[in-house]
Amino acid sequence: MTEATLWSRLLRPVLLTLVALFFLFPIFWVFLMSFQTNEQILRIPPSLFFSPTLDNYWGLVSGKLVTAAGTLELPFMRNLWNSVVLSTGAVLLSLLLGVPAAYAFARFKFRLGEDIAFTLLSFRFAPPLLVLLPLNLYFQTLGLNDTYIGLIWVYQLITLPLILWIVRGYFEDISPDVEHAYRVDGHGWLKTFLKISIPLARPGIAAAALLSFIFAWNNFVFALILGSSSIQPVTVGALAFVTASGIQYGQIAAAVVLSILPTLTLALYAQRYLVEGLSLGAVKG
Amino acid sequence: MAALELDRVSKIYGSRGQHGLRAVDAVSMAIKDGEIIGLLGSSGCGKTSTLRMIAGFESVTEGEIRLGGKVVNQLPPARRNVAMAFEGYALYPPLTVRDNIAFSLLRDKRSKAEVETKVQEIAELLAITDLLGRYPPTISGGQAQRTSLARALVRQADLYLLDEPMSQLEPQLRAILRARIKDFLIQRRMTTVFVTHDQTEALALADRIAVMEAGVLQQFATPQALKDRPANLFVASFIGEPPMNIFAARIAREGGSLRLTALTEDGADAFSLSLPGAETGGQLATTLGGRSTVRLGIRPHLVEVGASGELAGTVISNQWLGDQTHIGVELGGATLIAVADGALAAPVQSAVRLALPIEALHLFDADTGVALMHGLEVATPGVQAA
Amino acid sequence: MSYLSIEQVRKSFGKTTVLEDVSLGVERGEMVAIFGPSGTGKTVLLRLISGVFGPDAGDVLIGGHSVIARGPEERDVGMAFQNFALYPHLPAFENIASPLRARGLAGAEIERRVRATAELLKIDHVLHHLPRELSNGQKQRTALGRALVREPKVLLLDDPLRNVDAKLRYEMRVELPRLLKRFESTVLYVTQDYKEAMALGERVAVLNQGRFQQVDRPAAIYTRPGRVEIARLFGDPTINLYPCRPAAEADGLAIELFGSRLVLPRAAGETAGRPCLIGLRPEDVQIQLEPAPGAIPVELDAVTPLNVRTVLFLRAADRSEILATCSESVGARFGRGHRQVFMRLDLAKALLFDQASGQHLPAAA
Repeated sequence: MTEATLWSRLLRPVLLTLVALFFLFPIFWVFLMSFQTNEQILRIPPSLFFSPTLDNYWGLVSGKLVTAAGTLELPFMRNLWNSVVLSTGAVLLSLLLGVPAAYAFARFKFRLGEDIAFTLLSFRFAPPLLVLLPLNLYFQTLGLNDTYIGLIWVYQLITLPLILWIVRGYFEDISPDVEHAYRVDGHGWLKTFLKISIPLARPGIAAAALLSFIFAWNNFVFALILGSSSIQPVTVGALAFVTASGIQYGQIAAAVVLSILPTLTLALYAQRYLVEGLSLGAVKG
Repeated sequence: MAALELDRVSKIYGSRGQHGLRAVDAVSMAIKDGEIIGLLGSSGCGKTSTLRMIAGFESVTEGEIRLGGKVVNQLPPARRNVAMAFEGYALYPPLTVRDNIAFSLLRDKRSKAEVETKVQEIAELLAITDLLGRYPPTISGGQAQRTSLARALVRQADLYLLDEPMSQLEPQLRAILRARIKDFLIQRRMTTVFVTHDQTEALALADRIAVMEAGVLQQFATPQALKDRPANLFVASFIGEPPMNIFAARIAREGGSLRLTALTEDGADAFSLSLPGAETGGQLATTLGGRSTVRLGIRPHLVEVGASGELAGTVISNQWLGDQTHIGVELGGATLIAVADGALAAPVQSAVRLALPIEALHLFDADTGVALMHGLEVATPGVQAA
Repeated sequence: MSYLSIEQVRKSFGKTTVLEDVSLGVERGEMVAIFGPSGTGKTVLLRLISGVFGPDAGDVLIGGHSVIARGPEERDVGMAFQNFALYPHLPAFENIASPLRARGLAGAEIERRVRATAELLKIDHVLHHLPRELSNGQKQRTALGRALVREPKVLLLDDPLRNVDAKLRYEMRVELPRLLKRFESTVLYVTQDYKEAMALGERVAVLNQGRFQQVDRPAAIYTRPGRVEIARLFGDPTINLYPCRPAAEADGLAIELFGSRLVLPRAAGETAGRPCLIGLRPEDVQIQLEPAPGAIPVELDAVTPLNVRTVLFLRAADRSEILATCSESVGARFGRGHRQVFMRLDLAKALLFDQASGQHLPAAA
């Protein structure tokens, strides 16, 4: 018992702090870098003390990259907007398709049901590059190359399986009796789905949407191959910082901070639903 | 076989300070050699934690556990020489039912013939002879539970611990198996502690029952004493099926006698009874002291339904259950449930007279719920029966 | 013609047939308890009536009209579920109001009817609470309120008292029949507790092995069970059963049992010489400490008090086991057991069953 007390009082907080430092340090460092000039970043030994500058952020917002070799046009804000459009579009489409499908997989036993569900999941197993080259050819023929629609469609490979599988689990956890009760009360099946099933699975849907949003946001390869600069998201846009005159570390860091912000905000907001989900599961006594 | 003593045993989960959860709070019990003890309570009352501390799966935070006079607090489970049947059965899936039962006997290097006889005997007792060659995954929950029970009872141990030993048994087998097991335990003088949430099981099997709630031992007494002299309202309403009728009641003193008026749920007067006063029930008046309100408990099976009773009511339900009848009677807006042996001709909506013999009445403190009187007998404080 | 009739309904799930051939007619305003051991398809049957599942064959008629083609929302059937199945995201009020909302009633009317029902069930003070904030008893009453509020013609109750504590269960056993009478619904009440079935059912339908084996008044089922399985299902402790081969005698039917020769006071009929099972209810076995003429000496091996009655475990000279019950006060005389006692049997109440078929063999008239 005394050992347990010592462990819980002293050792645990110390270890937890170490772990937290280990994981958070890179982010912290990037955050600091975003307020430094390239020279400050590259000096040896590195130092925690510097005079902060907002130049990196200013450069991103104004779209002008000042390097030793001259000024470059940089559509970073455009990239950021593209990221928002692509990720949001992809998640919305996936929700529209995936939630009803997840419900069907959870509630009904039909022929090949499991196989179809597994096939959808298996899209996540294949290396994206394998599909990309043939896809590129198709897209050129169909005129989908370099369009939002085309990219959102391809993003379904990432978001749809996630939403389908996570939400399916939540639907399976809802007692079918609750839905039966609502039907017996005199409500039709569609109303039952909208008023009972969806609200009860909402925490799951929120979690799945958040997760797939992050995955879509962080995608690189699809947009690199299938889109030009006009629709490229930040992940691809960041490549521009690798210039002929060197790598713009400060601006990369600022770009990283800016591109983390939307997902971080979303995660903090959605946390409310995730917690609510844990306390809602009270059907029985 | 050995005696078992629990001396102010507590189990605190989490830190020892104020935030710790007191799952078991200073429980003391002295269990005699060969006695059968039931730990009874609803889920989360601390009964399972108590059993697990006795078995050694759970450390004892405070207090002492003595088995055969020896403190076993620090002894690992394997060295306490206790046999245990687990609630989840914990059968070894790759072994047949026979080998599961024989496992510990073979480990003790008993002769093959002896093991076989013992296994046969216990299998017959628990009606699993047909299953001996089967594997655990292929048998039903009730059968697995009987196997697990057999595996514990076949051992030669100082103490037998059974966790919810009969919860999954097929209803048709329950009564006979309870009887056979009780016979088996008594014949071999096996000291046994079992945990259950089912009062029927506790009453049937145990010599004495420890009723627990919120980690605290409420009463430790024989089944008869729990019914006749419940220590508090909790025990009174927990033990007995149908449960004791409980009403808030007002006391008025009328000359030499006391008048007890039971109230409805809304606080209106329902019916009243006169209790013996100073001359006949001197102790009653003393015990009640200056109290003007009490809680009145009435045991359903001691209510006499018949023509001569002093109370008049209306029958609102008459349910014959084969060997007994449950009658619901409305008395001035309050509902009282009575039990009679056999069938009773009292149709619903008919008027009926009831007599409440003094032994059927229990009085409890209105605030603390502690028992004051059982009939004319003054309740003795404390959890241990004399 | 019955108000609710179930006609030759059959239902399988995959390879397992749950309901083989189920037929039942329930009169308007009648309460029938459906009783059977767990896993006999009682709940499935309710779901077939409510329309949640469709049967493989057979028909369900309400008021003379087949409802089999209608969805659950079109059948005017109220149902209370064993696990309550409340809508966890809606307050109690909305849970109860749900069937009224489905019918598009005006807000004021809904308010009035929900309040009235809630008052009847004594939950009017918790209507604004979410299900998770309700006690088990309140949840159960909310579920009941939801089923009752629209005054359905047919009310299906799926073991509604299973998940509530003993105190509430007994209260509801008294209250429920009175409550249901006010609504004049035709009620099917599913339970796996034979006492609840006997207490609440005007008739009891015994569902076993895919069909209704007996449908009758509780007393008739208890005293004249149609089959040996039914005799075993009703009664706690279970009825004592022994194989025997009765022989016709001048004064009745003689059997060899417990090392004694016993004579049942009934005409031989067709039972003589046939392998039979004799059933003796535990309450028809009387135990006394003193010997008496006609009393059989037996060994009392264990005394297991039940709630109101005490169960005595006896072994006869031929080692057969007997369970007897007596009142608590009598039971207290026997101590811990392991002594000789004397047994008298009420042989007039003994039941005979055909050993091969399990059919009850009633005394010849």
